[in-house]
Amino acid sequence: MALDISCFLLVALFSASCETITSLDQMCIEKETNKTYSCENLGLSEIPGTLPNSTECLEFSFNFLPTIQNTTFSRLVNLTFLDLTRCQIYWIHEDTFQSQHQLDTLVLTANPLIFMAETALNGPRSLKHLFFIQTGMSSLEFIPVHNLKNLESLHLGSNHISSIKLPKEFPTEKLKVLDFQNNAIHRLSKEDIQSLQSATNLSLNLRGNGITEIEPGTFKSTVFQSLDFGGTLNLLVIFKGLQNSTIQSLWLGTFEDIDDEELSSSVFEGLCEMSVESISLQKHHFLDISSNTFHCFTNLQELDLSATHLKELPSGITGLNNLKKLVLSANKFDNLCQIHAANFPSLTHLYIKGNTKRLVLGTGCLANLENLHLLDLSHNDIETSDCCNLQLKNLSHLQSLNLSYNEPLGLKTEAFQECPQLELLDLAFTRLRVQAAQSPFQNLHLLKVLNLSYCLLDTSNQHLLDGLPALQHLNLQGNHFPNGNIQNTNPLQILESLEILILSFCDLSFIDQAAFIGLKIMNHVDLSHNRLTSSSIEALSHLKGIYLNLASNSISSIPPGLLPILSQQRTINLRGNPLDCTCSNIYFLDWYKENRQKLEDTEDTLCANPPLLRGVKVSDVTLSCGITAVGIFFLIVFLLLFAVALIFAVKYFLRWKYQHI
Amino acid sequence: MRREEEPRRPFYWACLALLTHKPLTMNSVAAALLVWTLTSPSSSGHGTEEAWPTHMACSGGGLEVFYQSCDPLQDFGLSIDQCSKQIQPNLSIRFGIILREDIRKLFLDIALVSRGSSILNYSYPICEEDLPKFSFCGRRKGEQIYYAGPINNLGIDVPQGEYQILLELYNENRATVACANATVISS
Repeated sequence: MALDISCFLLVALFSASCETITSLDQMCIEKETNKTYSCENLGLSEIPGTLPNSTECLEFSFNFLPTIQNTTFSRLVNLTFLDLTRCQIYWIHEDTFQSQHQLDTLVLTANPLIFMAETALNGPRSLKHLFFIQTGMSSLEFIPVHNLKNLESLHLGSNHISSIKLPKEFPTEKLKVLDFQNNAIHRLSKEDIQSLQSATNLSLNLRGNGITEIEPGTFKSTVFQSLDFGGTLNLLVIFKGLQNSTIQSLWLGTFEDIDDEELSSSVFEGLCEMSVESISLQKHHFLDISSNTFHCFTNLQELDLSATHLKELPSGITGLNNLKKLVLSANKFDNLCQIHAANFPSLTHLYIKGNTKRLVLGTGCLANLENLHLLDLSHNDIETSDCCNLQLKNLSHLQSLNLSYNEPLGLKTEAFQECPQLELLDLAFTRLRVQAAQSPFQNLHLLKVLNLSYCLLDTSNQHLLDGLPALQHLNLQGNHFPNGNIQNTNPLQILESLEILILSFCDLSFIDQAAFIGLKIMNHVDLSHNRLTSSSIEALSHLKGIYLNLASNSISSIPPGLLPILSQQRTINLRGNPLDCTCSNIYFLDWYKENRQKLEDTEDTLCANPPLLRGVKVSDVTLSCGITAVGIFFLIVFLLLFAVALIFAVKYFLRWKYQHI
Repeated sequence: MRREEEPRRPFYWACLALLTHKPLTMNSVAAALLVWTLTSPSSSGHGTEEAWPTHMACSGGGLEVFYQSCDPLQDFGLSIDQCSKQIQPNLSIRFGIILREDIRKLFLDIALVSRGSSILNYSYPICEEDLPKFSFCGRRKGEQIYYAGPINNLGIDVPQGEYQILLELYNENRATVACANATVISS
């Protein structure tokens, strides 16, 4: 009978807990306690009662709220961010957000709005960002204007709007972003732009609107932070219309799915009569590029010619003397000299990445760029057996060089002698061929960051990293060490300034005890995804307060002698190790419980042994090993009682026997 | 509804372990059965969640392309304009979907498998901050997208056989935008 009841209790308990688990499916995800919640894709038709009143950020997209009104959100008075994307909202009735005084951002994207009441947006004291993307809007009169004094950005993309003219009473003093992407705006008039007059430093986005006409003088003496006419077919119209305007950044690129005409040089004549700092002409075809094409670009600081099908730039170009930043990515150059770098003597930033042909660096092609600070030559299939002094000749001010994702490069000692000012060098995923005992990075006195991930380096070369006194950040991910072992003598030992070291995916199985002894100020060590066991932890004994990532290694038990080394660190990640949760590892398990605040990813730090506890979080395991003091006490009492009973038994037995003699 | 099977598993083991530790009487067997019947429907309901229907993207010229959405949240529509064993360069497609994520950055992964062995894995950026290749780049979560236009592919002759292709569109956080299990039959 008792068993019956206990079974029923068990069943009741299980079914109850199973139910709570199923109902969790319907629950919002807590991203930040009492503040940020995500209730996306739950098919909810009201705000769940489980959400605390203190909620500040609510992601409520893809639910079902056909009508929203003053009772819908009334409880959540602390809301600052509310995302109602695609909630099938048709009606926004009066005073819907009346109690949301803190509301700052409201996202109503992709709701088939039929009507918004005059007081629908009243309540918030400082509503800054409004998203009405794809709400079926055809007129700006649709938006109630009463409470938009503090509006900074208004997003109206993918609607049926045909004029950017804001209603008379629409406040624009604080407006910084006005986004009309993918609408049906074909014409801009003086009146339209005048309605934006009181906005300063405005970014106006008209991407994906087929502008075919701009009334002459429309942009006369206007100032814009940025103007985006992306995908516009007729650039001549744009340049003519923008006469006498001042624009920080002008985006005129086009797209793969838009049939554009070839641009003739005469199109750019309009630039002579306007002031632009930065221009993008991405993906256009140029009919004829001559040395005269850019003569109106004199005041330009930045020019983006990405994917413009360029095979060559002519020499002797006039008008680009003052250019600071040039992007020539995704073009079709054969040789770096074909850009004729002498055209841009003031250049500080040059990006040529993702060239669609194998790029040959040549000799001294950039030698005229004395002021160059940043050079990006990644993803270009560059291959050379002797890099990089001839190729980077005279780039004595270069601070940042990106040669990642190229074909094999051969480096000799002092391979970057021509750029002694380098602070950042990225060679990731470019195979490096360095002869034994050579030191390619020698004399890079200022180099702070070096990315050598997946460079397939020969790490037995003790002089590989010589000459880097200032190096702070070294990434060696995916390189292999002889026999999977970092020995006491290794190329890292001389990097005295190193703070961040990444050795993940290096197939390491052991690190010698003194392998990092020369690295005294490291504060971030990533040894994840190797085959290390706890014995390698000793190599970190001289370091304190570091971030230590040991995730996905082969650590099973950690002997008590090594625990002080872990205790002195700031954060430790042990996720994905085959941790031992038996009594043989009890010291570590106790330590783990006491140092929870130091541990990262505890949700994924699981036991692998014993089989019964496989997959259980280490933090959930409680073992009782050995005999406790109470146990010992009871055992002694029991033994004493037993002894007394035995003595009595023997006594009675003997007495009984004597009586029968 | 999201699949939440993984966290459920330890709970099952706990249920079973507790029960099997008791001597096996009729009562505990009945209890175990009851627990099993109470909990398994909810889990199997999740496991065999109804899949999206298989659609035909194109058929003709000795080539048939079928696909099925592998995004548990939604289906999508795709049709390829000219179907042929000799796939022409720069094909035109039609594509309709609801965006579950912003696509300022959008990447495509292609994994091609034939007879159970992997032939090709490929990753390609479609939208990047510094190079938005298509006019739909930069559109927002929630937006409905219809794209009819070229995809800038390479021309290729498809040898006879059946191929499985896994196509995944995702953004910079690796959040799924679209996922398709496609079967290509060339005869």
